[in-house]
Amino acid sequence: MSKQLAIIPERCSGCKTCELVCSISHFNVTNPKKAAVRVMVVYPHPVVRMPIICSQCRIPKCADGCPVNAITRKNGTVEIDKETCIACLKCLKSCPFGAIFIHDDVEYPFKCDLCGGDPECVKACPKNAILFIPEHVLGQAQRINNVLSYSHMKEIEYFEKGEKKQIRYAEIGKEDV
Amino acid sequence: MNKVKGGYFHKLLKVDLSSNTWEVEPLSDDFISKYIGGRGFGAKLVWDNLKAHNFKIDPLGKENLLVVAPGPFTGLYLPSSGKTSFISISPATGIYGDSSMGGVFGVEFRQTGFDALSLKGKAPELSFLFIDDRDVSLVPAPELAGKGSLEAEGLIKQRLGDFTIHVAVIGPAGENRVAFASVNTDFGRNAGRTGVGAILGSKNLKAIVVRGSKDLPVYDLKKLNLETNKAITYLRNHKFFKFWQEQGLMCVIDYANNMGILPTHNFRDGSFARVNSINGFTMESKYKIGDAACFACPMACSNICLVKEGKYAGTVVEGPEYESCAMLGSNLGIDNFAAVLRANHLCDELGMDTITVGNLIGVLIEGYETGLLSLKDIEGEPLTWGDDEKVMRVIEKIARREGVGDILAGGSRKVIETWPQLSPIISQIKGLEQSAYDCRAAISMALGYATSDIGAHHTRAWTIAKELEDGRDWSLEEKAKLVIFHQTIRPLFDMFGVCRLPWIELGLNENHYAAFFSAVTGLDYSLDELMARSRDIYDLTRLINVKLGISRKDDQPPLRWFKDPVQTGPLAGKVLKREEFNTILDIYYQLRNWDAEGKPNPEVEKIFN
Repeated sequence: MSKQLAIIPERCSGCKTCELVCSISHFNVTNPKKAAVRVMVVYPHPVVRMPIICSQCRIPKCADGCPVNAITRKNGTVEIDKETCIACLKCLKSCPFGAIFIHDDVEYPFKCDLCGGDPECVKACPKNAILFIPEHVLGQAQRINNVLSYSHMKEIEYFEKGEKKQIRYAEIGKEDV
Repeated sequence: MNKVKGGYFHKLLKVDLSSNTWEVEPLSDDFISKYIGGRGFGAKLVWDNLKAHNFKIDPLGKENLLVVAPGPFTGLYLPSSGKTSFISISPATGIYGDSSMGGVFGVEFRQTGFDALSLKGKAPELSFLFIDDRDVSLVPAPELAGKGSLEAEGLIKQRLGDFTIHVAVIGPAGENRVAFASVNTDFGRNAGRTGVGAILGSKNLKAIVVRGSKDLPVYDLKKLNLETNKAITYLRNHKFFKFWQEQGLMCVIDYANNMGILPTHNFRDGSFARVNSINGFTMESKYKIGDAACFACPMACSNICLVKEGKYAGTVVEGPEYESCAMLGSNLGIDNFAAVLRANHLCDELGMDTITVGNLIGVLIEGYETGLLSLKDIEGEPLTWGDDEKVMRVIEKIARREGVGDILAGGSRKVIETWPQLSPIISQIKGLEQSAYDCRAAISMALGYATSDIGAHHTRAWTIAKELEDGRDWSLEEKAKLVIFHQTIRPLFDMFGVCRLPWIELGLNENHYAAFFSAVTGLDYSLDELMARSRDIYDLTRLINVKLGISRKDDQPPLRWFKDPVQTGPLAGKVLKREEFNTILDIYYQLRNWDAEGKPNPEVEKIFN
């Protein structure tokens, strides 16, 4: 079962801890500029903070853009093969998310490798803004939200051990079509 | 001789704006192990500059040195490592001044490969200083004149075509040399106190812009990670961790009100009847749209707030934090949280310290109410508690130095010079207005304010909670010792370049920091040794102040605290007793080994020469 990173921008505080731990675990240095994740803070128009990180696309645009076929998707991870890569940086531009990075000290472009299946950024994020979840769960929150916000539901109140509670329900025969 | 094995680039960047030249001065192991960084570096460099000018410096003159210094921890993987200090001789007080800010600026600055920056001289026209991995350049930017700090930050990023650079910028207040102008970064984080923004303004420097990509030096990264993980685990499991992320410093409003120390109506009172409309819960339920954190901070104490309806709709602020909300809210009798947000936004955009602004406008309102000021003095427009629209107008006037705003723009010293009758109602020490803790019932806090090296600010000692919760019956000596402990450990955080909140608010053990220090630098200092370095710096800043004319007469709390009892709340009726204060001041001087006038032992000076 493959897992994917899911980002929840509403939770992100912009603290960049993800960048720090990424650079430490991949390059063994403290340098947010060597991270394969980058927190973008846009303020005040609009107000949003979002970690940018590779989605490990099934049809990777970065691979399409690569003139030497150095980029392939293996076991759910999109990888850049250093043997083949010519560091032309075309992938940086072809990634629709800007999730491939460069640094002066590093010869080849670098990107998220999911830390071999146990991403450091996920563990370190103090706000739980980066989740690592099975692919089949992706979209589930939206699906449930959609169900819960179904506007034609009815509601009754009742008491349980003296505490006021509510139950909402959809009732056959009362459809609003 | 201590060998420094990590944590530093050993480089000080010295920029002379008048001649548009810069040089790199190597920092020796000896210097580093003595002064640590941040405020420590700043105090020493400012001291040297003062000596070179025979202790005669105009804070807004070309000769005044402004030091920008993060610390050896800034940018590292340890809790809340995003702090940078600005150190200089303050235009608000005429003595030593420093102020720190969070965000990411200090991290990015360190990544350019320098440990600190010193600025002197004056640029020929309004410019910004751009520092990157390779070069330092002074870029003329007359188009930024009069621009708000948030707007200017956006414009600079646009001009350089890079939205991830970091900018420390002043607003119109800084350009107009308002004595309490702030330096702003990341659209709303401020080095607010002691008027460091006015110093940048006096140097014709609108902003310092940094873009760095170098690795930050760490001696033993593995050891640091281990220690950090311990500290972070502690913080994340703390029972208040989640609450802290939710409300941040805004949770202090209710705390202060319940304790009876919330500044209300220009510090006349210690609790505010309508506190519920400006407290953390109101913020959370009606205004908060997101969390914001400084670099590497798990606590995310900052809140992003948006006013969604009413006359202030569209106002976005990173904040307010406790001080801003108390000083611009209850202290001015304002119970409309949207108005507090608006006032905070104006102060950020115009580039002014919210604490001082809240103080001075409070004095203006009370002065008019009690007849100490005439209607003519305040330009024919009556000013009353809670009148938010007029408060907004006064804020604008201060930044632009219009009418009555021009007097307030000079800070307490100018206000007292113009209207001596106001001195009984103005809460200031050494010319710096008091931050948001009423201490008529907490003599240790009063002592902390009175002996703070920058004036009436709680950055050096915040003993009020400890005294009111546990220490009301302590002897004066115990209370004085607590103050000295605070004045020693708290500046240490400003020397390291980290935030003290994980320690003071969530109780992270201070020994972690000694462990961080040895992992980062390879210097095997115990916490006691680090405390000794910090204590030396306190002597140094005192020495600076003594040379600039400070003595016992200036270590005095505002008159109000002795004279006007708290009116309502749990501390109603409390006032500070003059005799008791004199006694605790004597004890404090003795414990510090300063003489009865508050002068350090002449031997001390030798340490710094």
